[in-house]
Amino acid sequence: MTAATNSSELKATGSSGVRRKKRSPKPEKGGANSGVTRFYGTPLPGVNPAELSGNLIVVEGTDGSGRSTQISLLTEWLESEGFAVETMGLRRSFLVGEDIDALLAENAVTPMTLALMYSTDFFDQLERRILPALRSGLIVLADRYIFTLIARAAVRGIGRDYLHGIYEMALRPDLTFWLDVQPEVAFDREFKKSQTISYWESGRDMSLSNDLFQSFIRYQSMIKREFEYLAKRHSFLEVDGEASVSEVNRQLRKRIASHLGIRNTHYRPSHALAHLWR
Amino acid sequence: MATTAPDISTVQESPGEQSAPAKREFPGALVVVEGIDGSGKSTQLYLLKRWLEIGGYRIHFTEWNSSPLVKSATRRGKQRRLLTPTTFSLLHAADFADRCERQILPLLHGGYLVLADRYVYTAFARDAARGCSPHWLRNLYSFAPVPDITFYFRAPLDVAVSRITAGRPKLKYYEAGMDLGLSLDRAESFRIFQDRILNNYDQMIETDKFVLMDGTMRVNRLQKVMRALLAERVELNRFAPTKKK
Repeated sequence: MTAATNSSELKATGSSGVRRKKRSPKPEKGGANSGVTRFYGTPLPGVNPAELSGNLIVVEGTDGSGRSTQISLLTEWLESEGFAVETMGLRRSFLVGEDIDALLAENAVTPMTLALMYSTDFFDQLERRILPALRSGLIVLADRYIFTLIARAAVRGIGRDYLHGIYEMALRPDLTFWLDVQPEVAFDREFKKSQTISYWESGRDMSLSNDLFQSFIRYQSMIKREFEYLAKRHSFLEVDGEASVSEVNRQLRKRIASHLGIRNTHYRPSHALAHLWR
Repeated sequence: MATTAPDISTVQESPGEQSAPAKREFPGALVVVEGIDGSGKSTQLYLLKRWLEIGGYRIHFTEWNSSPLVKSATRRGKQRRLLTPTTFSLLHAADFADRCERQILPLLHGGYLVLADRYVYTAFARDAARGCSPHWLRNLYSFAPVPDITFYFRAPLDVAVSRITAGRPKLKYYEAGMDLGLSLDRAESFRIFQDRILNNYDQMIETDKFVLMDGTMRVNRLQKVMRALLAERVELNRFAPTKKK
């Protein structure tokens, strides 16, 4: 570990904002990646890592960090550059996606059960959609990844090493961006979006405060601390999520372009996505 | 796992928490039966339960795969054959976690004698037979309390298989291990799958301190042995009906 290890130094701003903190040598070009390093530990049963010629790019960040907006824009940009894109996210598996929605609606689920349902959802998407896409050479954009799942479970008292153990069969991303925002900014954005704050994004199951605002801030701060820990452990590329949409997008494009060997990083959203461009 | 990178697979700092399975002391006690299908374990646990029930003991009976919370997902996955070894294992772990957090642990804290028809060893034996890493499985279930006694019912493969195939018209897809592509014939696939599971169970006899039970013994004689062994290992008076003075 050569780079800074305290969180204030990790904060990236301005044009040179995206920094990679190398921990171990790792092949950079997607298709050339060899063998076991594409997985954290033992690969999933029946998977040959050498077949995975596509690229996995993860965008992480708390609620209100602007992830989904950036994924939409990146998808359009990559497609315009001729890359086929597949996306993944939370609760999008055919197997248990709707079941998790139902569990969340009831508020009766316990932390370990929820954590394991999310891991089922994750691996179902990985095995049935993402690995086939990567075998076909697609670019996979992940709107959240194992890191959100680890952070959410960890703040609810489940051991970090336990969680890392479950996800050791996950695929290691080529790039992991972390859109970092202060909880107060996230609150403003989320509130503006839906005129209220939901039960789960304010962590109300954790009995932190009866006041929704306080509960949200405390919960998101706890998540943010977990992300700071994960950022060091997993070499996140940190981006200032409070910058404008276009600025954040410019930084993401620059780093992705160099990874994929795209020369032209110029991009303006189409009419359909123009409303996102602020 | 020769060339794993350090960031996930290695145990690292983990401030203020633990995930290792520690033998916890509860006021309650946990009794588990394990064994392949047709080994006679469920019959024996049923008789043990009846004995304790009739005696008025504070007991609770729980079985594998019974949590309503994840039942619909499990059913959908099985009916449409969507499950891979990994998602099969995780879904069952979620189901077990639900039972563990909402039934088993509160009951153990509350001083019950909990009787479990199958426990984490079922997952260790069966999911490893499907190709999951044993190491990964051990970690996955490390939140489960260690049983006070685990009865392992062992019957020769032929005996166990004939008990199952005689009583059941058709083996189910996952039950027969058809997802593994062992054989196109369901009965043959079931046999190979059960053989693998049996071998995995046998390897846990010592590491997990199984109490070996001969599944070919006559039912009533085996039950007598089981009751004696239980009384030897678990102080049953703790769960006896309180006498009014």
